[in-house]
Amino acid sequence: MSSSTESPALNESTTEPKRVKVQSRNEPFSARASTRIWAEQPSSDNPYIAIGALCHGYDLFELMDKRSFVDVFYLLFRGELPSAAETQLLQTLMIALINPGPRHPATRAAMNVGVGKTNPLHILPIASAVLGGEYQGGGEVENAMRFLRKYQKTNPSDFLKQHPADLQTLAPDVDVSDQSGDETPTSPTPGFGKRHGGIDLMAAEIAERLIKLEAAGEALKWGDEFAKTLAPSGSGWFITGVAAAVFADLGFQPKAGGALFQLLGAPGLVAHGLEVANKPITAMPYVSDANYTIER
Amino acid sequence: MLLNNQATNSDLDIIDYLDQRRGKVISNTGGWFPGKGVFSHGYSMLEELVGEKSYFQILILNATGKLVEKPLADWVEAIYGCLSWPDPRIWCNQIGALAGAARTSVVAATTIGAMAADSRSYGPRTRLEGVKFIQGALKQYKNGVTPQEIVAAAAAKTRGKPYIVGYIRPIAKGDERIEAMEKVSKQLNLSAGEHMALAYQIEQVLIEKYDERMNINGYVCAFLSDYGFSGQEMYQMFAGMVASGVTACYLDTYKRPPDTFLPLRCDDIDYQGTARRQVPD
Repeated sequence: MSSSTESPALNESTTEPKRVKVQSRNEPFSARASTRIWAEQPSSDNPYIAIGALCHGYDLFELMDKRSFVDVFYLLFRGELPSAAETQLLQTLMIALINPGPRHPATRAAMNVGVGKTNPLHILPIASAVLGGEYQGGGEVENAMRFLRKYQKTNPSDFLKQHPADLQTLAPDVDVSDQSGDETPTSPTPGFGKRHGGIDLMAAEIAERLIKLEAAGEALKWGDEFAKTLAPSGSGWFITGVAAAVFADLGFQPKAGGALFQLLGAPGLVAHGLEVANKPITAMPYVSDANYTIER
Repeated sequence: MLLNNQATNSDLDIIDYLDQRRGKVISNTGGWFPGKGVFSHGYSMLEELVGEKSYFQILILNATGKLVEKPLADWVEAIYGCLSWPDPRIWCNQIGALAGAARTSVVAATTIGAMAADSRSYGPRTRLEGVKFIQGALKQYKNGVTPQEIVAAAAAKTRGKPYIVGYIRPIAKGDERIEAMEKVSKQLNLSAGEHMALAYQIEQVLIEKYDERMNINGYVCAFLSDYGFSGQEMYQMFAGMVASGVTACYLDTYKRPPDTFLPLRCDDIDYQGTARRQVPD
């Protein structure tokens, strides 16, 4: 434990500039918010009530009649309707990501919310915030998309030759050596690494199936080769890497990738939270005092 | 289900490490043991902290592991008062106002408002960059780089005005909170050190060359750097810094009829997208 209570030593006189009255910059803020996504058409006698909505130019009612949810989901973010092959790739990924599973920290958060008798409406914002983390979450997806963008023209074996030091620290999910750091280290290969000490077989299989689809592109293919190159060392695809590769192949920007990952995992989070919401608080483990150690 | 014949090439030591931790909490911080007490960073909370130390001393202890003297905790408390204003035009506060308009719970509104302040432009996260700047600048200064050169280097990066985190406040020029905090520092008899001295020198350069000034983030980063805090520690101790203003903005709209906070007509949104088109079959 350290204490920082002493006054710091002055090595020179601290002279504060004369303070003046604060002035507004009168910055030119827009008079109206703008969007390229959605237009609501007002009714003739009440400008607050809409009679229709366009999504990137398409009438919402017409989309309801003619298109699948996945098509409109893609349209919303990309501005154009997807091809059949793109729909297939996105829908397959959406099914793969529908539940991060009851061991994921985000799902565990959802279950804590549920069993703790928290307002069920809080399950989604709480758990999806956890699913935004930089480990096995949206933050990692964004980083992985940037990683793929940077290296997908580099031969995976060459990458490993060029980054020998990184290989040694390749996404260690358990770092027993250092707990003193101010910040947690970031992975040199976001979206790829060791999970629970080895290859994440589920992520590998999901990638294997996605790669066979018509719309699979360069990112998925490079990731697959990269994962195979890593395999002997017990590393491979993370599910965040798989999601990143599909988002990249579908033309999404890295900044969108993290939030999309949160969205696509949301159903599982909510389902698990609701499942325990009516159960007694004893329905989930509570660590005994005997199993609780304070390291000091 | 996969056939169970695929190798994970796992590291057995890691599996062992995980197995040893199943069902156990190992805390570097503290815990509550009914009948024995509550502990935080080596202190018995109910015997040594509650009633003995101020809430902000406990907050800083929980956030950084450091138990500071009361005047410094009072200083941080005063800063909190500067960072949370009940004006719904401020982005995080507007989340509170919208949440009130939409009738969420006050806790949801307050916490998501605090989350909204996790921004690159304002809020606690800016401590990271602010501290990086002033601590880096001090190292340079000690190596003989002048404040003028430090500002010039920042200006070269942006090819114009030097947009240094901790200086040049958005929306307004100047920062009235610094003056208020300078008074607080004097009242509490807290002297600043070399980071603050350099921060003022840099401000002086900005005033003379660009008619721009330090903002409250620059002031906090320099001041607390002088008291040995890192940027990450400041990020941690200011995590909830805007919460109170968000609550205030929530209440204001919660008490009014729904749909009346900044009401929008359909055409108050400027649609700039593709013109109407037919959905292909």
